[in-house]
Amino acid sequence: MQQGGNKDEAFSLKTRIKRLKRDSNKWSVFTLAIVFFLALPIIFIGVELFAGPGETWGHIVEYLLPDYIWNSFYLVFFCSILVLVFGVSSAWFVSRFDFMFRKQMEWLSILPLAIPSYIVGYAYAGIFDYGGSMDLLFRQLGLEFIRIDIMNRAGLAFVLSISLFPYVYVSARAFFLNQANNLLEASKMLGVSEVKTFFKLMLPLARPAIVAGLVLVLMEVLNDYGAAKYYGVNTFTTGIFRSWFSLEEPQTAVYLSALLIIIIFALILFEKWQVRKIKFTSSKTSSTQIQRRETKGSTHWLIFSVVFLPILLGFVLPVAQLIYWAVLTASTVFDLEFIIISLQSFAIAITSAIITVFFALLLIYFSKWSTLSAIKNISRIGVLGYAIPGAVIAIGIMIPTLALDKWLIKMLGNFGIDSGLIINGTLIALLYAYAVRFLAVAYNPIDSTALKVDNSIPDSSKVLGVGNLKTFFKIEFPLIKTGVFSAVILVFIDVMKELPLTLVLKPYHIDTLAVKAFEYASDEMVMEASIPSLFIIFTAMIPVIFLNKLLIKK
Amino acid sequence: MKTILAVAIFSLLVACGNENKKTDNTEGQEANKDQVVNVYTHRHYEPDQNIFKMFEEKTGIKVKVINASADELIQKMKMEGKQSPADVLITVDAGRLSRAKDEGLLQSIDSELLENSIPSHLQDIDNQWFGLTKRARIIAYAKDRVNPEDLSTYEDLVNKKWKGKILVRSSSNIYNQSLMASIIANNGEAAAKSWAEGIVANLARSPKGSDRDQVKAVVAGEGDLAIVNSYYIGKMLNSPDAEEVKTAQKIGLFFPNQEDRGTHINVSGAGVAKYAPNKENAILFIEYLISEEAQQVFTDANYEYPILESVSPVEDIRAWGDFKEDNLGLNKLGEYNKKAVLIFDAAGWK
Repeated sequence: MQQGGNKDEAFSLKTRIKRLKRDSNKWSVFTLAIVFFLALPIIFIGVELFAGPGETWGHIVEYLLPDYIWNSFYLVFFCSILVLVFGVSSAWFVSRFDFMFRKQMEWLSILPLAIPSYIVGYAYAGIFDYGGSMDLLFRQLGLEFIRIDIMNRAGLAFVLSISLFPYVYVSARAFFLNQANNLLEASKMLGVSEVKTFFKLMLPLARPAIVAGLVLVLMEVLNDYGAAKYYGVNTFTTGIFRSWFSLEEPQTAVYLSALLIIIIFALILFEKWQVRKIKFTSSKTSSTQIQRRETKGSTHWLIFSVVFLPILLGFVLPVAQLIYWAVLTASTVFDLEFIIISLQSFAIAITSAIITVFFALLLIYFSKWSTLSAIKNISRIGVLGYAIPGAVIAIGIMIPTLALDKWLIKMLGNFGIDSGLIINGTLIALLYAYAVRFLAVAYNPIDSTALKVDNSIPDSSKVLGVGNLKTFFKIEFPLIKTGVFSAVILVFIDVMKELPLTLVLKPYHIDTLAVKAFEYASDEMVMEASIPSLFIIFTAMIPVIFLNKLLIKK
Repeated sequence: MKTILAVAIFSLLVACGNENKKTDNTEGQEANKDQVVNVYTHRHYEPDQNIFKMFEEKTGIKVKVINASADELIQKMKMEGKQSPADVLITVDAGRLSRAKDEGLLQSIDSELLENSIPSHLQDIDNQWFGLTKRARIIAYAKDRVNPEDLSTYEDLVNKKWKGKILVRSSSNIYNQSLMASIIANNGEAAAKSWAEGIVANLARSPKGSDRDQVKAVVAGEGDLAIVNSYYIGKMLNSPDAEEVKTAQKIGLFFPNQEDRGTHINVSGAGVAKYAPNKENAILFIEYLISEEAQQVFTDANYEYPILESVSPVEDIRAWGDFKEDNLGLNKLGEYNKKAVLIFDAAGWK
């Protein structure tokens, strides 16, 4: 805005502040305001850190922490491998080749995400259990059943990977679909083989998109509670719950959360660091879609199987198990009420998906328009919510909103109005919480597509005197639409299956399917939980199919 | 694009519709305040909803429910403070109730009916909470491999003869924590610690899964004995899954410590919230939960032991016979809960 005048005061604090003032514009202020709004619950949790750890902190460090760290790293390592193999291979084959049922498998590959991972955990335990489905099947065939013990660390890594790989699939596919074509053609003209093109060209270029998906997976892996608890694997998150509730020390839980956040932050920085060298932008987004190759013979079957395998493991098998349980329990559990609850869940999920994506867009573009370079990094604080267990976020939400509520009650009380709680126990608090929790899910796919948009396009628009907002709607939004739609789908699905936040913050008489499923599952009525779980899956399928169509069409 | 917008607007409308419905409810609440009771409950059982409906029909008081785990409910009540809409807190163990009491979230109530009908060790000394149903932590054994005469007490499970034979779930489970708390209360901390170490040494596998999974593992031959809650066996015997029924039929039930203090029991219970806006209704509600008809539903549909002596347990439970209960005041379970967890960790009981 204004130039700082006195040159002789070059490095004084005053000058620095002046420079800061000069370099910042209204977008910087807006960004900070949004970051503050979204990070508020996390800040409140952070403030707790100054209270010091609880008296059992030493106990935790001595007996439990090594186990938490070791298990968490084990999960991070093996889930990364599995998720990359499943996600990237499916994304590439689906984008590059044509084969049987390709169109269906394209969206089926997203669906494993629709089943809460603890339900997948239960389903697999049910499949391999004594008296479980495999056992029955083997008996029918007259074979000796060799029981596979899936309830351990390796099994947990498998279950989490198979239900979370779609994050990588979605972001990798968005890249392959829209960016790969001209490069592929060039590579083909130069006579480079298909395999070499993939490993030497596509994979390195897709890395930012793939890693963005992977970071989401790892955050979710570190955050998993239900499946880890059931499989008897102690992780940071089970530790947070243990120290908070069993040891009755919220402060210790906050310390563990802080450690967890540091790990996640390290992952995010690692991502930023590894993407730093490969800045790759294209002005041809969505103009030329990838040309699919027809496949024949054994190649065809091989590709078909590679794409089908994760769908089979992550969707078909668990759903089959759930349907089997649903048939057994239908007479006692099924209720037309589920349709109403489905509608409620759907409405809540789509609303919060749109709100969350809106915030993500604001954060990404405001920080982009801000001339202050540090803002971009600060804006990433907004995504930390995804790393924190939902129950902890719920507390972080309740502290400030209750304070506000109490203030409002007092103020309105002066006018003789008895308002009661306005924010807490209503949808407002719940939607706010979802936005805080799932911002990362919306942020990453949008950010990675936004990175691909060459700055020269919006810049030339601005040179021609078109404002930031108009440029965004006319030029940038159409270019990043793929990313935005992916983000809406992902947040939608996440909200559909979200549990701990919803339990604590939901209003009376609004039920979600996830809550219904939990009510059964938490009391070991896993079979009875199958019907609400199936409803979650089918409700989640609607936008997946619908938005996927839009995604392909463009 | 337009379609998306349309969907978004539609959804917002639906969501707002819900919101309106919600405000209507609160308005209704204000109009006739005495017609509502707000219940925070950790009991996520289908039969409970039937009992709530029965209560609504009988009294005209509407039951509004928030379901979550007791820990989260307690946290929620703490933060809501005076504004908390909660009237009644229901948990599935006595430990959490006495914690709620210690946090100052409950209030003493005057109800002769409750005080007189519930055995004194199953209710709070200050009348802040009351047991509703009982569960016993029993030993399930493989009928074909174990002679029940070899079984005697919880303490005996650390005997070398059970090495590699014992199945039990994680120590993060409240039922295990309560059992440990009762052992601390009865035998002292040092004895409790060596007991935990002895159990860990005898485990057939690392603790995981649910109580039902422990029973399945016994039948599958992974171990011979499982420490589980009685009512899960009742549920398995009546499971819609024929395989689960068969599994449950293959195990025997043993009630430990019959020669001395009795088998460890825990209660699911309820208390009136400190800032209950509808205190009278809350008392009526809890009193209804120990009425004979409600107690009958608890035992018939959920296989719990009724708290009223006059109500006889459901047939499946009766078949296990009468047993001697540990008469330890359940306040102790809350008192020693944290200690129990520390001992579990130190002993390596995951």
